[in-house]
Amino acid sequence: MISFSDLKREAAFLSKQRYVVFFLLVALALSIFSVWSGVAETRAQIDTIERLLEKDAIDREDALSKQSDYGSAAYYSFHLTYSEPSPMAFAAMGQRDIYPWKHRVRMLAIEGQIYETDADNPELSFLGRFDFAFLISVLLPLFVILLLHDLRSSEREAGRFDLLIVTAKEEKQLWLSRALTMSLALALVLLIPFLIGVLVTGASATEIGLMLLVVLGHLGLWTIITLFIGNPKRSSSQSSARIASRLLAVWLLFTVLIPVGSDTVINELVESPSGGEIVLTQREAVNDAWDVPFSETWRAFLATHPEWESKTSMNSQFEWKWYYAFQQVGDQKAAELSHGYREATQQKDTVASIVALFSPPMLTQRLMSSIAGTNISSSLAYEQRVRDYHASLRSFYYPLLFNDGEFSHQALSGMPIFGESQANEAESSD
Amino acid sequence: MREEMVVASSLSVTFEQHKVLDGVSFKVGEGEVFALLGGNGAGKSTALKSFLGTVTPSGGSASVMGLSVASQIDVIRQKVAYLPESVMLYGHLTGVENIEYFLSLAGITSAKDKIESALKRVALQQDAWYRSLSNYSKGMRQKTAIALALLREAPVLFLDEPTSGLDPSAIDEFNQLITTLASEGSTIFMVSHDVYGACQIAHRIGLLDKGKIVGMFEREGDNPIDTEAVHASFSKRNG
Repeated sequence: MISFSDLKREAAFLSKQRYVVFFLLVALALSIFSVWSGVAETRAQIDTIERLLEKDAIDREDALSKQSDYGSAAYYSFHLTYSEPSPMAFAAMGQRDIYPWKHRVRMLAIEGQIYETDADNPELSFLGRFDFAFLISVLLPLFVILLLHDLRSSEREAGRFDLLIVTAKEEKQLWLSRALTMSLALALVLLIPFLIGVLVTGASATEIGLMLLVVLGHLGLWTIITLFIGNPKRSSSQSSARIASRLLAVWLLFTVLIPVGSDTVINELVESPSGGEIVLTQREAVNDAWDVPFSETWRAFLATHPEWESKTSMNSQFEWKWYYAFQQVGDQKAAELSHGYREATQQKDTVASIVALFSPPMLTQRLMSSIAGTNISSSLAYEQRVRDYHASLRSFYYPLLFNDGEFSHQALSGMPIFGESQANEAESSD
Repeated sequence: MREEMVVASSLSVTFEQHKVLDGVSFKVGEGEVFALLGGNGAGKSTALKSFLGTVTPSGGSASVMGLSVASQIDVIRQKVAYLPESVMLYGHLTGVENIEYFLSLAGITSAKDKIESALKRVALQQDAWYRSLSNYSKGMRQKTAIALALLREAPVLFLDEPTSGLDPSAIDEFNQLITTLASEGSTIFMVSHDVYGACQIAHRIGLLDKGKIVGMFEREGDNPIDTEAVHASFSKRNG
């Protein structure tokens, strides 16, 4: 059993080893940088949302004030939709680097508006951001390997091994207390910046607790792997370099080969339409609508909105209700592709979650993204909130457009605003 | 009859089908200095390590203070001190810090003045006590390790080539110290190349060749063991 005095002795011993102290300072600096950049990025996203919200309201008010019919009002007014980063997002930016977290939508066909936006920074989707989750899932195993691979072999190479084990009260206790002290020191330098980060962003105690569990679990696992491979019974004749090589091979397998290999295989196995296909299908349907008979558009529209059957008569070659009907039909034509895209994304995510069971770094990253609300499910949930909001816009405008009532700015005051009903829906769906 | 502190009974050790020790038997009594002499590859260090549990015998048994090495090594290690052939302590610690660290590993807390008096006893120059060990000579490191062994107050000391690399005056000081420790009741088991030094301090000498005890020499009265007789036997075996 390791006592507090064992840990105290090893801590004092380690504090006098310059390379260990230097190494821990480097780990601390990397942790500070990852947390700082994460907090700065989430702050920038929150600031962007606030700034856009302000401008969005002014812009819409200005656009609406110039309109004299409901169709133009719907056409010229934009609506900001957004997914605010959670207080824990700074630690794991996850899919926020790949999927858009803001869309400025109009009452036109929605699918194209969702999928026409490319990722802000496509390189990030390949390399990954240097956030706390990257530090913990990818670099932490390397830190553990560097600190602990030669725990015993370095003593053997330095000629101290026999003296140490003959002198130590219990051999196991000696190595375990050393390994534990180094692991605790590493945990401390990595977690202190993180804890300061959560104080700044105000994450909940549950989220903090879960994140700490994941970090310490990953650290514990790599400590065990490193001690197991560096065990003298398995490697008494092996040099530190050889043990390090084996451990790096294990790290490469878990951190690079399994995730990259599985990603390639999953993309091959799970067929998915691309965002571009969805945009193209929807745009072609909308563009073609100008040339097809009105009756064809109305038939497709009424299939989903039979309540307006008696209001489809037209007095001219262009009427806004017809215009928005074919926008709706454009969405209906792209619906299957869009649904397939989301299904495939979810399917890929499910398969990846199974593969992650064989790759601790991948599992760690996924768990951290899940706790931070930055995983695939969160991105798809935001997309769905955008659709729901857009549907509420249609529900608001259709009576105004189809009932041919007198235009009044007053009638527009009840226009739905994103973030009011959608925020509640998001909470209830979580 | 003196208590049997170190006992080898038909002890054999095999490394990769090569017999390094072949049925070696001897007993070392309390307060006795026993030296195992032999040429390179004779199996001396292997014999010593068999008592420390760092080498696993392929046959026979080894015991220390009546405790079996095979089953009670953790208890044995608390009762013995070991001086390796080449003492490598921690270069980033001072002599005193090294001793403090190793004593703490053994679960012993020793006051600074006690450590200093042990260092004085092994004649390590005072200005080196609080200097980094990376600046120590081999002899100074050896003395530091001996001071550590003294502070452990272990009833049995295992010494592997303890005088190799020491200058003549340091060897004299070391021999004197071993004689004193033995007279105080410590049991000393040492392996060495140094026929003359072993004859001066050992009560008994076992001559090891190709893993077998081929000769045993014993002190008669207060006279040292006959160096010439041991040397002749040693030379015959080692060309």
